[in-house]
Amino acid sequence: MRLVSVLAAVALFSAGAAEAATFRIAAVTGKAGPCRSLASSAPAGQLAYYKHLAGRLARDVQECPVANEADAGRALESGALDMAVLGPAAFEPVKAKTRSILTLRPTGDLNRIPVLVATRKASTRTSLAGLKGGTIVFAGKAAFAYGLPRRALADRGAGPGFFAREDVATDPEAAAARLRSGAADALVINAAAWQRLCRGDRPQDAACGDLKVIWRGRPRATKAIVVRRDIEDELRFRLIGIHVAMHLEAKEAFGWASSWIPKAAEFEPTEADALVAP
Amino acid sequence: MLAASGLMVSGCGGKGEAASGTWREQMKQVRFAVRGAEDDPTMAKRWDFYRQYLGEATGLPVKVYESSDYNGAIQAIASGQVDMAQLAAGSYANADAQVGKLVAPILTVRQAEGAMGYYSAVIVKADSPIKSLADMKGRSLGYVDFNSTSGYLFPRSQMRAQGIDPDTYFGKTSFAGGHTQAVMALENGQFDAAVISVGGGNPVDGFTTGPIQTMARRGLVDANGFRMIWVAGPVPNVAFVTRTDRPQAFIDLTRGALAALAYDDPDLWVGIGQADGSAMTAVDRDFYADVIKLRAADIANRRAGGRPGKSS
Repeated sequence: MRLVSVLAAVALFSAGAAEAATFRIAAVTGKAGPCRSLASSAPAGQLAYYKHLAGRLARDVQECPVANEADAGRALESGALDMAVLGPAAFEPVKAKTRSILTLRPTGDLNRIPVLVATRKASTRTSLAGLKGGTIVFAGKAAFAYGLPRRALADRGAGPGFFAREDVATDPEAAAARLRSGAADALVINAAAWQRLCRGDRPQDAACGDLKVIWRGRPRATKAIVVRRDIEDELRFRLIGIHVAMHLEAKEAFGWASSWIPKAAEFEPTEADALVAP
Repeated sequence: MLAASGLMVSGCGGKGEAASGTWREQMKQVRFAVRGAEDDPTMAKRWDFYRQYLGEATGLPVKVYESSDYNGAIQAIASGQVDMAQLAAGSYANADAQVGKLVAPILTVRQAEGAMGYYSAVIVKADSPIKSLADMKGRSLGYVDFNSTSGYLFPRSQMRAQGIDPDTYFGKTSFAGGHTQAVMALENGQFDAAVISVGGGNPVDGFTTGPIQTMARRGLVDANGFRMIWVAGPVPNVAFVTRTDRPQAFIDLTRGALAALAYDDPDLWVGIGQADGSAMTAVDRDFYADVIKLRAADIANRRAGGRPGKSS
């Protein structure tokens, strides 16, 4: 965790000067142009979003036209703008200097919850790649037990055909039993279910002492709000705080800002590399 | 009523603050009220972490005030003695009844599977002849606290919805003072049954968190020594609330810093006792509207001279 130092905060917001500095947002318009204040003829939702951000950040917020997402990434990397919505392809070339901070959770969907793969402790399969051609078992049929974990594996190259066999157990206990019996080489389970599975009821309990976790990760974000990695934590936290509550506090702004996915429910924070699937 | 559990965080706050924006000059410090949880040692670790983390995030000294009872945290935030608090739904509803929009929820926890609530359960000792609420007529029942959501307010409303008047149905009721105390009182035979919170599951699949599990993992009780006879819920999860008369920049920054934590450092998130895969999500007053209605009815009934909690 990297937290802003007081000195960095002072440097950024010294005497309120930087509070008034311009905050520049990429706008993929098909044609590049200089950053500018939003025209009054802009869509109402966009006006509402820029106004909301400007009010909350106490800064002028400008639109920076770029030809495409890749250009937005490069402009962000170079410091020509401060924030952009990027997909994995546009993020990849600039990932050393930029990071994701927010993505969107669709209505009715889960957060990007962490998933893990566990094997028997004595197993020689010690990585996701090492499970190629093996048998895996999921801990149930629900989206949090199968759909999301399966997607997380596919994001890492373990898509259809990677494993020789994929079973779906009725629940985490049944899935763990299949792993322990040797009927499966690995258990694929979300982190919460694993925590419950492995938490005993007595101080001396080590319910999963015979198993080991060989991989853990979240599904890759399909798109995310990206900023430079050297962003001060204060500004990053304020951007996150403003966005995660936008669906409650500024519905028109949220409607426009979330238009890059259908039926968005809310903004969700992300780790720095949410657009990367190593 | 409140005891300061933390003072200025070394390395945070100090001379840089005056120059870093007017909201810091207004705030000068962050005061955070929580209810102490005596049954779970990770709580002390959690509060200490929040004190340090929020201090670093805001650049201000943070004081965490641990209240020994529910009412302490409620009154601290309602009176403006503190800037933020962590309150259960019923406690927030109590603050809302006192000061309305001056206190607002900003975050709660969304569990990995999407749930944003926990449950209320009536438990008995495993060897008790009591099998259901029907067997509890005329028996003694221990509640947690008048301001407890899962240990008082919510189960009583659900009992009424099921045709049971909790004021007359049981032979004797009283407050244990906390979830841990309710379990211990049951263990010691003071009640035939007790109402506590349960979580980490659902009525179909069972539950994996709550005071019994926490106490069992510390070796204080045997988790198999109790049996659940009734469950109600879900109850909206505990809220982080702030005073709305504080600077918006402080509210945004605090909300963002807390929301980012599960993604910035998932190991630490779990280390302070949060469920793995869970994360904070923004909420507002509407999320607690049902509990606010319950609390308002309770308060109106008390003012009318009725017994605590009895429907008017």
